[in-house]
Amino acid sequence: QNIDFNNGKKYTIGDIVVTGDTNFSPQTVVAYSGLTKGETIIIPGEEISNAIKKLWNTNLFSSIDIYLTKVVQDSAYLEINLIDLPELNDVKIQGVKKSKIDAIKKENKLDKGAKVTENLITTTRNYLTNKYKKEGYLNTKVTVNTTAVTDSIQKSRVNMLVYIDKGDKVKIDEINFIGNDKLSDKKLRKAMKNTKQKNPIRILKRSKFIRADFKEDLVSVIDKYKENGYRDARIITDTIIINDIGTINLDIKLEEGEQYKFGKITFVGNSVYTDQYLHSILRIKEGATYNGVELRKRIADDTKPDAIDLTNLYQNNGYLFSTINPVEVSADGNVIDMEIRISEGKPAYFNTVSVTGNDKTNDHVIYRELRTKPGQLYSKSNVIRTIRELGQLGFFDAQQLTPNIKNPNPNEGTVDIEYQVVERGSSQIELQGGYGGGGFIGTLGLSFSNFAIKDLFKKEAYKPIPMGDGQNLALRLQASRFFQTYSFSFAEPWLGGKRPTQLSTSISHTKQFLYNPQTRNADKSRRFNITGISFGLAKRLREPDDYFTLSQAVSFQHYNLKNYNTGLFTFGNGFSNNLSYTVGLSRNNLYTDPIFPEGGSSFSVSAKLSLPYSVFNDTDYKALKDERDSLDPTVAADFARIGEIDQERYKWLEFYKVKFKGDWYTRIVDKLILKSGLEFGFLGAYNNDRGVIPFERFFLGGDGLGNYSLDGREVIQLRGYPNQSLSSQDGGTIYNKFSLELRYPITLGAQAKIYGLTFIEGGASYDEFRDYNPFTLSRSAGFGIRIFMPAFGLLGIDFGHGFDALPGETQKNGWETHFIIGQQF
Amino acid sequence: CSEFQKALKSEDTATKFNLGTELYDAGKYSKANRLFAQIVPAYRGKPQAEKLMYMYAMSYYHMRDFHLSGYQLERFQTSYPKSEKAEEALFLSAKSYYMLSPVYSKEQKETNEAIEKLQLFINKYPQSQYLAEANGLIKELDFKLERKAYEIAKQYNTTAYYESSDYEAAIKAFDNFLLEHPGSSFREKAMFYRLESAHKLAVNSVEYKKEERLGIAMGYFNTFKRYFSNSEFYPEAERMNQEMQTELEKFNTKS
Repeated sequence: QNIDFNNGKKYTIGDIVVTGDTNFSPQTVVAYSGLTKGETIIIPGEEISNAIKKLWNTNLFSSIDIYLTKVVQDSAYLEINLIDLPELNDVKIQGVKKSKIDAIKKENKLDKGAKVTENLITTTRNYLTNKYKKEGYLNTKVTVNTTAVTDSIQKSRVNMLVYIDKGDKVKIDEINFIGNDKLSDKKLRKAMKNTKQKNPIRILKRSKFIRADFKEDLVSVIDKYKENGYRDARIITDTIIINDIGTINLDIKLEEGEQYKFGKITFVGNSVYTDQYLHSILRIKEGATYNGVELRKRIADDTKPDAIDLTNLYQNNGYLFSTINPVEVSADGNVIDMEIRISEGKPAYFNTVSVTGNDKTNDHVIYRELRTKPGQLYSKSNVIRTIRELGQLGFFDAQQLTPNIKNPNPNEGTVDIEYQVVERGSSQIELQGGYGGGGFIGTLGLSFSNFAIKDLFKKEAYKPIPMGDGQNLALRLQASRFFQTYSFSFAEPWLGGKRPTQLSTSISHTKQFLYNPQTRNADKSRRFNITGISFGLAKRLREPDDYFTLSQAVSFQHYNLKNYNTGLFTFGNGFSNNLSYTVGLSRNNLYTDPIFPEGGSSFSVSAKLSLPYSVFNDTDYKALKDERDSLDPTVAADFARIGEIDQERYKWLEFYKVKFKGDWYTRIVDKLILKSGLEFGFLGAYNNDRGVIPFERFFLGGDGLGNYSLDGREVIQLRGYPNQSLSSQDGGTIYNKFSLELRYPITLGAQAKIYGLTFIEGGASYDEFRDYNPFTLSRSAGFGIRIFMPAFGLLGIDFGHGFDALPGETQKNGWETHFIIGQQF
Repeated sequence: CSEFQKALKSEDTATKFNLGTELYDAGKYSKANRLFAQIVPAYRGKPQAEKLMYMYAMSYYHMRDFHLSGYQLERFQTSYPKSEKAEEALFLSAKSYYMLSPVYSKEQKETNEAIEKLQLFINKYPQSQYLAEANGLIKELDFKLERKAYEIAKQYNTTAYYESSDYEAAIKAFDNFLLEHPGSSFREKAMFYRLESAHKLAVNSVEYKKEERLGIAMGYFNTFKRYFSNSEFYPEAERMNQEMQTELEKFNTKS
């Protein structure tokens, strides 16, 4: 019937019939179409087109038509005519190994029952052709044939035959350049990054001919010329010569042209910066060899976000809308005068600054870390720094942090920025049992690095624990038959929410029992208790720059011995107090990922001091020292007296300790990072007669993991040697260590971060300052791997080879295996 | 072996449908849901599907699995727009999104989604019996967004004690807040703290910017006075204004 398309008319649907070549029941088809009998619709109108759209969206039909068969009064009778798409019955793939067939089917989704569209056939063919071309089979031909299955049941199905003719693998025998005088063949071949001559020594990059890569490489060749001032260089022809033995030759004919030099370079349109200043950034002198690539880099270097170039100069100072174009104004002979045209635009100010994706962390924890603020001048470097610092917080996946610039408005000079974050698990639970130290050891450790203590008593905040205020809470209980350790620590990075002053506090208690050989159990009457408490404040500084932190801490430890006669102490009953003040200055600008920093450095210097008691407590330590020296420890009475003297000396520990530690991270290429480290520590006494205390000492060697520490000792990692083997029994009072470590990431995904490393390091520890010699080191080298998973923390294994002998031995130490748990700082 | 377990393993869709319906009516939504999930594909396109899909979607709502109930109820409404349950389904779908909306200090994706869905519902069924409730929910969600924006702006004011450049950030953030939420109940506080930020910035300003900044701050005072002269903050605002007046006079006599 003829229907006027401009004037739809209302009809009631009388009936709908389904015709055509389809296996679906009419009921189903009608239900899918969304049309119902008795419904009032307008013809022509959107209901009919919607019905067609819905049916198309099912992807089940190759043809869909809706007809108006007849009209009786106000009732319209509709007919839906459909043709089903054929389904895939069987796929045969010929020309490749059997083992590859399943993979090919999977990659192309050639499953039984798939709807065979023209698109499926074409994409399959193209996919396979490209796949083999990329592997170097230049002459790959793929044919896809379908044949209909004649079948008693009505469903239309097809069989598919994919025939792959890979042909021979093609290698490049020679790449010849014709017409090059100024640059050697070798140099030009080197410029071609992805197209290489065959060479048995080169194993990382095989010789393959891929047309797209070759085209790119030809551009690289021309770029090479441009870098050397040959701006007219061009490729005249490139020819592929097919040799009979499965190889090809590439002949590249080119014209070099003349070498050009920079003439005068003038700036136009700059009002914010002087010509002189811009020249100092550009660093290209008149008369220098013309180098278009270098010029482009000095204007905008896309490879380095921190580069000092003209674009960054403007971008970091608010000129988001600035554009910089170099224009050649005249070429007099071989000398090219340049004009760098700058359109500065209005300076841009941030209008709104927002954060998305924080479904765990509260706004205030994030916003206080943002270096870009509403109303502030736009600065690219501040955006980069914000990203780096957000990554360092450890609450978000550092690889997925993205700043989105929104609504740039050149007329108003405003721009919005949105930081998109992805939360990562930042809590660790450690629950373990194991044998060690002569019996079963049970450990329960909880560490929450993004805790919210204000929600501790809010039931609805437990999902599964109160999170989001950026506080650090750790709880650790460890017990065996012979010892028990309890520790609790808490840190709030922004005290009171007003300034970035971190408050940290910790409490710990350790009980240690001696072994009783009769009962073969712990002897509870002979024990050693340590109770400690500490408070610390760390303040971010703004001088000399704002990466500095000044930290101070006061800590108190009480050691209490009862019948605890071991080699460790000369007195079995007694006590010792350690009240100390620590002041530290550190600077940290590592970025971005705290697990795998890719740049920046961190260093810290600290001093831990006790009060100089000997100055005012009127004890004659000189006399005590002389007396102690005269006593013979093998005589029981004398030994008891030594104990008494030592009790007097260690009643209040008197010492000072100075430490320095620095790490630098440098990117070598791509994601290959070099970490160089340097550390040094010294423990001294104010009063040499009172002597250096046996606590707080340095123990060098091994994996650097501090287990439960009895005496405030510091365990220093030096791989390739057994744990704590490089210091004397009582520990060193001075040590130094140097290390170089190369790291390369295997994956930095959100689920697991894995990197491999190789290292060389060396260190030494000494009992006294007069033995100190920074050049006699115990050296080692080795390799290892680290795996970080959010719930487990960092795990790793290192194999280290010690080149030097242990103290008291003559043979070099050789290989050691170290298991690393937790992060090394 | 209970009847439920038997039905769960049974091949017969009708058994599952019937028992599921029984369990659904008895309020055992989780069990009913498991049965329905098995038979949903089989009933697709059949007349009973409408009832089944409704119960299936509603069982998620009752199980407080709001992610799925939001999706399934909406899907029910689009599949059966003429069903007498469609209106209820669409409302409860929107309400599911409302239930997912987190505390104001976290990302508000769900909140925005919920507002959008509730608004769509209101547009579609302007005569609905749920209209009052829908409006109430929207209001609550809007308040959440206002609070978020206000607290972020307020934080710049707080951290400015440490980083004085944050006063400018606070002023800008409050400006944006007042522009975007003209009817907000935080308006009074926002205006006050905007004035306070501007006042601090002006009073502690370097000399050559002082006059301009004083002017701006006093402008904010006048705005505050115009709208909230009965505010509990007013005496404090008045005091700041006095101080700025004196400063300004000092400045004028000096030059």
